[in-house]
Amino acid sequence: MTGTVEALINLMMADQVAIPLLDPILNILYGIPLLGHLLALILWKPLFAALICPGFATLGGLLMLLPWIERKLVARIQWRIGPHEILPQMGGVIQLLADSLRFLFQEVIVHRDAKQPYFLQFPVLSFIPALLPLLFIPAGTIIAIESPYGAQIVLAMVTLFPLFILGLGWASNSRFAYIGTVREAFVYFGYEIALIVSAFAMIVLYGTSDPLAISGMQQVPGIILNPVAALAFFIASAMATSRLPFEIPEADQELAGGPHVEYSGILFGLIYVISYEKVYILSGLMTLLFLGGGSGPEIRVLGDLSGLIWFILKTLLVMIALIALRAIYPRYRLDQALRIGWNPVFTLSTIAVGVSLMEVLLL
Amino acid sequence: MRKVVAPDYTVFEHVKRHVEAVKTAIREAIIPESVTCSYPKERRKMPASFRGYLIFDPDRCISCFGCAFICPANAIRMKEAEDGRYYPTIDYGKCIFCHFCLDSCPEGALKPTKIHDVAYRDLDRMLTLTEEMIEPPEIIREDKRYVEYVIDGRDLHLRRVDGEDELLVDLPPPSKVERIASCIDPESCTGCRICEEVCEHGVIRSSVEEDGVRMVIDSERCTGCGLCVKECSMRVLRLVRR
Amino acid sequence: MGGLLEWKVRAPDKPMKDRLYFDGLKANVIDTGLCSRCLTCACICPVDGIRVVDDKVDFPDREERCRDCGACIRVCPRFDYRPKYGMGDYLEFTAARSKRFSGQDGGMVTEIMISAIEMGMIDRGLFVGRDERWRPQVFHLHDSSQLEVGTLSGTKYTFATVLKELKKAVLLTRNGVGVVGTPCIVSGVRKLQMEFPLFRDRVRLVIGLFCTENFHYDELMSFLEKKGIKPEMLIKTDITKGRFIATMVDGEVKFKVKELEEILPSGCSVCTDFTAVESDVSVGSVGSEPGFSTVVVRGKSAEEVIAYIREKGYAEFGEGDPGQLDFLIDYKVGRFYVKTKDDKD
Ligand SMILES: Cc1cc2nc3c(=O)[nH]c(=O)nc-3n(C[C@H](O)[C@H](O)[C@H](O)COP(=O)(O)OP(=O)(O)OC[C@H]3O[C@@H](n4cnc5c(N)ncnc54)[C@H](O)[C@@H]3O)c2cc1C
Repeated sequence: MTGTVEALINLMMADQVAIPLLDPILNILYGIPLLGHLLALILWKPLFAALICPGFATLGGLLMLLPWIERKLVARIQWRIGPHEILPQMGGVIQLLADSLRFLFQEVIVHRDAKQPYFLQFPVLSFIPALLPLLFIPAGTIIAIESPYGAQIVLAMVTLFPLFILGLGWASNSRFAYIGTVREAFVYFGYEIALIVSAFAMIVLYGTSDPLAISGMQQVPGIILNPVAALAFFIASAMATSRLPFEIPEADQELAGGPHVEYSGILFGLIYVISYEKVYILSGLMTLLFLGGGSGPEIRVLGDLSGLIWFILKTLLVMIALIALRAIYPRYRLDQALRIGWNPVFTLSTIAVGVSLMEVLLL
Repeated sequence: MRKVVAPDYTVFEHVKRHVEAVKTAIREAIIPESVTCSYPKERRKMPASFRGYLIFDPDRCISCFGCAFICPANAIRMKEAEDGRYYPTIDYGKCIFCHFCLDSCPEGALKPTKIHDVAYRDLDRMLTLTEEMIEPPEIIREDKRYVEYVIDGRDLHLRRVDGEDELLVDLPPPSKVERIASCIDPESCTGCRICEEVCEHGVIRSSVEEDGVRMVIDSERCTGCGLCVKECSMRVLRLVRR
Repeated sequence: MGGLLEWKVRAPDKPMKDRLYFDGLKANVIDTGLCSRCLTCACICPVDGIRVVDDKVDFPDREERCRDCGACIRVCPRFDYRPKYGMGDYLEFTAARSKRFSGQDGGMVTEIMISAIEMGMIDRGLFVGRDERWRPQVFHLHDSSQLEVGTLSGTKYTFATVLKELKKAVLLTRNGVGVVGTPCIVSGVRKLQMEFPLFRDRVRLVIGLFCTENFHYDELMSFLEKKGIKPEMLIKTDITKGRFIATMVDGEVKFKVKELEEILPSGCSVCTDFTAVESDVSVGSVGSEPGFSTVVVRGKSAEEVIAYIREKGYAEFGEGDPGQLDFLIDYKVGRFYVKTKDDKD
């Protein structure tokens, strides 16, 4: 019994997140029974990746912060002020906390015609495609599951998202939700192939799809190696998040509110954050494929955390770029979006594959 | 029919435009302009002709009903006062602040203010009685500065100036086409002399003579209030340009 | 239109010195039983004070409200009464039945009025409708869809306040007004037009109805109730060939008109005008076959309307026989002499 525990702890100790700065403190803490064990468990790289970063905790933190950043940024660009009244000293940062409290205490209405079990399940289930891909994205050297097919798996998971949204639109069983759902499906057709093909171009370029290997290979970041792929991937991600220039399923101003019109309360809150989750994951993927993942000038004392910080910073940058689009472009019509998806972006992504092939052959 | 066609840009022009848009966004994100006025801490400076709440001067009112008559929202009702005359009351729940009443008042008894933010406890209280209209409505002011919007070239800018904006304005009554009452169809006049009775300034006079009634309008003194025109049962009186 | 700052209103002589004009009217017309209850005085009264009290025209609060302008005396057709009688002048005597509307007889009154509205000659016509208890009510007719209530056409043998509405109609109208009424109403309108240009220009079409007599509402109803006729059940009232015919939901009651003599208003017994000689067009039932209205065209405006109806084929025209009217014309003149002789006695 104790043998197995001992073996497990040794296993975990062999693969700890190394932080030279904190080593003295950590060493003391490890000595304390139970707390030490717990610490070892948390700092075990795979678990750290899943639970802390880039996994659950980071996601949660970002979800709290991202809408605020979005509102504030867009307001600035548009000469407004943005959230202000809640904690005015800090520019209303906790606005979303207030919002989520409201969502939490609002009544969840399940209308009579809804397909009840599915109606309740889908918002919760949609966290699966949000959390799973995070297991395969490395923050520097920290990764939950190492796999030679990491990049493909993440893409596959991301393209699962619309399925859940279609699901909840269907479960709402209301014509307004249906309209939004169908539009969601259309947009999905528009970006999916371009997204996959441009990522494919990068995989061809690197010759591997192991995330750790990919980030290790980018002495020169991918965006310089293949800018065409980067552009195609960026536009496709913007469409994939179905946010403002491509906010076609929701289209508040014209439609009733997309696939989730019938949702209220905390279930609506869950759905509300889906698009931010997508932004996070796609930005992570973009960072991995084009911006060299966690690579950057290494800060010795922070050890593994240095790569993590670089990764988060780059991801944040990509996220802000994706979010700021909202302030720059008005919404495209459905047909325009499809045309953009199939015409320029798809062309760009195929060209990107050609560019990759050429580079591979030449270098 | 003219069809609107999308401009035919080349790829290069498209790219240029996108870059321009992104550049503008980045510029604004870094050094943003702002056009938001943080009312109530500051207050927008309104022009003197702003159409806000009204004040009323009963000494000038001639009870001509002109305001009540013209009010497109039916917000003005005339109420009989203790002196037997009729004065306007305004239901601000209905009022659309068009200031037609003010423009139509022949005697300048209604005056504008720049006050636009009055709170009421319930709908009934929005019916403002004559007595309450003599003084400007009471409001709580938190503003320490006022804001002006200035347009220079293409852009709109916000200018903040310290100090309180004076909300009571002293405008001369609106100028209007001068009109006087006159009779358009003397033969149809019944000679009832109601016009003489309603005229506030004693402009219409009648004298009973041997074979009938002689009616005279003193055009010099007629203010064109239209009271007689409204009361004339045969509608033979009309306001004409002086 | 320019304006005048000084003008003169002609006032009639006061019939009673030091009293109101209306007192004079009351003494000379109302109290002497000459009043036909046409309400022309109520139409012109600037303070709108004249009304019907106990089946009599009166101005109850005249001491306070009367402006003493004398307009009521100027317009009263029975003040300085010159009885009219006979067929009067006419341009055409014919009989017709409307194809579009049903009415008392041939529905021609309704047809003429609607046609005039369609032609744009007038924009409103004053019609007498009724409530379910047969109380007469005056309506402003603008277009034929208003006729769907079904009670606007057809004869009500009770005095209606048509002229009380006339001033309102005249002040509201854009094109002109049409009026339907009994001969006394027609005379009142003509007197108004003579005295006041306002009415001269705006009342464009005056349709007179043949009339031997009319009744006060309360008296007629209590009479009918004595006969076992409930007003609620009544569908149509008619006087033909000396008989009063009341058609009800569940049958018909007929009786001799002579019986109604006991409630004959005195104003009617001094009236000799059967055919409404002063109208633009007179319409009645005598003088044509059943189902047809007799139409006596007298004025230019009416002639135009009839031409329009002919052109559009809205009515079917038949033969009218002026001879048939003679009896009733003579009857009314005779009644007048009997009455005036009675009074002298
Ligand atoms: C009181 C009275 C007595 C009549 N006596 C005779 C008579 O003795 N002999 C004869 O041949 N014809 C008489 N008539 C006319 C006759 O009854 C029809 O009204 C006439 O033939 C028109 O019929 P119509 O179908 O063409 O009219 P419709 O199309 O039916 O229209 C009838 C019109 O008469 C109007 N009207 C109804 N009642 C009154 C009223 N009380 N006062 C004013 N207007 C009213 C209605 O508003 C309607 O416009 C009398 C009418 C009335 C009102």
